[in-house]
Amino acid sequence: MRLSDTRPGTAFIVDKVLIGGEIGKRLADMGFTQGTTGHYIRGAFLRGPLQIRIRGYDLLIRRCEARLIEVKI
Amino acid sequence: MKKIISVALAGNPNAGKTSLFNALTGSHHKVGNYPGVTVEKLEGFVDHGNLRFKIVDLPGIYSLTAYSLDEVVARDFLIEEKPDIVVDVLDSTNLERNLYLCLQFQELGIPVVGALNMTDEAEEKGIKINETLLSESLGIPFVKTVGTSGKGIKDLLDKTAALVASKNSKAAEHAASTKSLKRQEPLQKVPQYGEEIESRLAPLTKLIESDRAFCDRYPPRWIAIKLLENDENAIKKMQDHAKGQEIITKAESDRAWITGHFGKESEIVITEQRYGYIRGAMHETLIQSTSGRASFTEYIDRLTMNHFLGLPLFFLIIYGIFKLTFALGEYPAALLEAFFGSLATLAQIVIPEGFFRSLVVDGIIGGVGGVFSFVPLIVILFLCISILEDTGYMSRAAFLTDKALHAFGLHGQSFMPLMLGFGCSVPAIMATRTLKSPRDRIATILAVPFMSCGAKLPVYVLLAGTFFPKNAYNIVMLMYLGGVVLSMFSTMLLKRTVLRGPSTAFVMELPPYRLPTWKGVFWHVWGKTWSYIKKAGSIILVASIVIWAITTFPQPRDEVEKTQVFAADFAVTMAEASQEERDLAVERALDEYRLEYSIAGKIGKIIEPAIRPLGFNWKLGVALVPSFSAKEIVVSTLGILYGSGSEENEESESLRQALQRDPGLNPLTALTFMVFILIMPPCLASLAAIRSEAGGKWMLFQVVYSMTLAWIVSFIVRLIALPFLGA
Ligand SMILES: Nc1nc2c(ncn2[C@@H]2O[C@H](COP(=O)(O)OP(=O)(O)O)[C@@H](O)[C@H]2O)c(=O)[nH]1
Ligand SMILES: [Mg+2]
Repeated sequence: MRLSDTRPGTAFIVDKVLIGGEIGKRLADMGFTQGTTGHYIRGAFLRGPLQIRIRGYDLLIRRCEARLIEVKI
Repeated sequence: MKKIISVALAGNPNAGKTSLFNALTGSHHKVGNYPGVTVEKLEGFVDHGNLRFKIVDLPGIYSLTAYSLDEVVARDFLIEEKPDIVVDVLDSTNLERNLYLCLQFQELGIPVVGALNMTDEAEEKGIKINETLLSESLGIPFVKTVGTSGKGIKDLLDKTAALVASKNSKAAEHAASTKSLKRQEPLQKVPQYGEEIESRLAPLTKLIESDRAFCDRYPPRWIAIKLLENDENAIKKMQDHAKGQEIITKAESDRAWITGHFGKESEIVITEQRYGYIRGAMHETLIQSTSGRASFTEYIDRLTMNHFLGLPLFFLIIYGIFKLTFALGEYPAALLEAFFGSLATLAQIVIPEGFFRSLVVDGIIGGVGGVFSFVPLIVILFLCISILEDTGYMSRAAFLTDKALHAFGLHGQSFMPLMLGFGCSVPAIMATRTLKSPRDRIATILAVPFMSCGAKLPVYVLLAGTFFPKNAYNIVMLMYLGGVVLSMFSTMLLKRTVLRGPSTAFVMELPPYRLPTWKGVFWHVWGKTWSYIKKAGSIILVASIVIWAITTFPQPRDEVEKTQVFAADFAVTMAEASQEERDLAVERALDEYRLEYSIAGKIGKIIEPAIRPLGFNWKLGVALVPSFSAKEIVVSTLGILYGSGSEENEESESLRQALQRDPGLNPLTALTFMVFILIMPPCLASLAAIRSEAGGKWMLFQVVYSMTLAWIVSFIVRLIALPFLGA
């Protein structure tokens, strides 16, 4: 399941960042690594960015980046 | 003479670097720029014992993988300038991710001291850190600090001095044993990766070590890791290496092996292992007792980031800022205007009549004074923005607007600069610094001038009021809206052509709300305002003088004869008028004649064929020439051209009548002219800002692009409006 498919207010466990390169590396740098738990807090109006809580801080990512993260519920 | 030790203050954004910097250096700092880029650089000194620390506040970064402009700057500074020590400022409430960067500094081979900042907040949150244990397991000295109060500063300096001492003694040891050509041992331990990665790293590092000159510049192990991370910059550096090609090939096969072994890209694997190493080190050094209660930030975010209420609230805040800026800024602006007015009067009394007086009064005081009148507006606007920035609301604004702006190729963080553009393009262009990706940044910079700035308003008011007396308000609103729509479509166009490239990621930290400190806000406002004042004092000064010169020279030689000719003419045409009125008419006609004779007038005539298709006569052409230096000058130039004197303003009745009398002007031309003014290249101050923020190339592009666009769009608008307004 991809992070973009989860619902606001749910917790998830990161399984894998699917791509490398600039974007994948950045996501991993920000803490999306295998086995890390995170929370999808809320999304912006009209499928805008997602607010994710991970490793004790909050960050915003776009839906297209959330699609690159494989997660488990 | 104290020994100077260079210290780089680095860390994640919002970790408290600038607060700590201010606490360390007091006010003894200067703002500079990093060579080649425009990220601001704060530099300051602090004495400690027999050492003098030269402290540089680096831009906030998350990783040394050069991803944003800030990261390139920070990385290049650390690699090329090789500071003696890095003081890594860490946010204690968010230690894991902050340590991730800390490890990369360590890998770089520069001695690191960690400042565990925000200790107060961490304690409040129930996070307990055992810094002694953490120091032991990572091999980095850690000090607890509070940036806002300066707590822990002395301890931090002590630890830094101690590290300098141990570095020196190691270096001396090394110098004493130069017989063995062994590479200098790293001062601190370095992070270890898993067995599989280490088994790949060792031979690669050895291969890199074969070129000693190369290794004097870059730490070999760090380069090896970066190669396994597929870092473009590291790969490029290998061109300087004697065995560069061989190493790149080896690194490629190593990466392929890692990807095969772990089932994911090697750069992801290395990142995961770094985090794993941190987890291991943090085990037992950090105790977190979670309260389970929603934080203060969470309560506010439930409103400000609300699915439905978030956006309306956001617009309300923006509207409020505008109201405040223009309502409050009016008074000091009027005061400044009055001040420059009396300065001009004074100059008129003190300086004898002649060119010099004209230069001082019309050129310098008129030009520079006009720009300085904007300072109060800018201060208030910047004050509001700095408060939004420092509280953390800006990130919420990006969250709310990203979707809409992204559709046009902009970014959530483009919103603020665009809004500022309605006030003045200069601070708006400077505000694009918050954007991380250079492409988004340039796109935003190029979109800003389409937001009608305060200086364009008088032009709209004059022309709309004169030629659309019934609909003046709507026409002005139309110009504003037209600018916004145009900026969006222009960005779409540019993003598909000159700014084409892969969409950059939107990965942004959402910091908790914080109460801004007066000191912090003051420095923000002061720094930005000062750069504006400097610009007004230099570029605008020169520009004002040039505009004055080309509207003044050359002077017609036959002024005396012309005066007689005009007097004779008006004696006939204005037979009924009083002598006074006739003298005034002669004076105006002379002003117009002088302008026509000047370089600006000649330019107007030369460009006339180019603007004829738009319906502009040479007089409008002349008005366009000085509008490059500032848009509000159009009104006073038209005042001179239409014979009612340069002291005319946009509300003046006589100027309106004079404009209406010109057969070359009609509603259609007025509308086209307003559109042209809206789109044409921004004022010189803005162009200077574009140059310093994006480079000379983009400034030139902006000039050519907006000129072309202005012509085309005006022409189309004229065609469309023709059936409605008539010729
Ligand atoms: N509670 C608390 N706030 C801090 C501390 N240090 C900095 N701040 C606040 O954190 C915010 C970011 O600080 P700043 O120095 O601008 O961070 P920078 O982005 O790293 O330069 C500001 O609002 C500071 O007032 C600290 O030790 N404790
Ligand atoms: Mg800072």
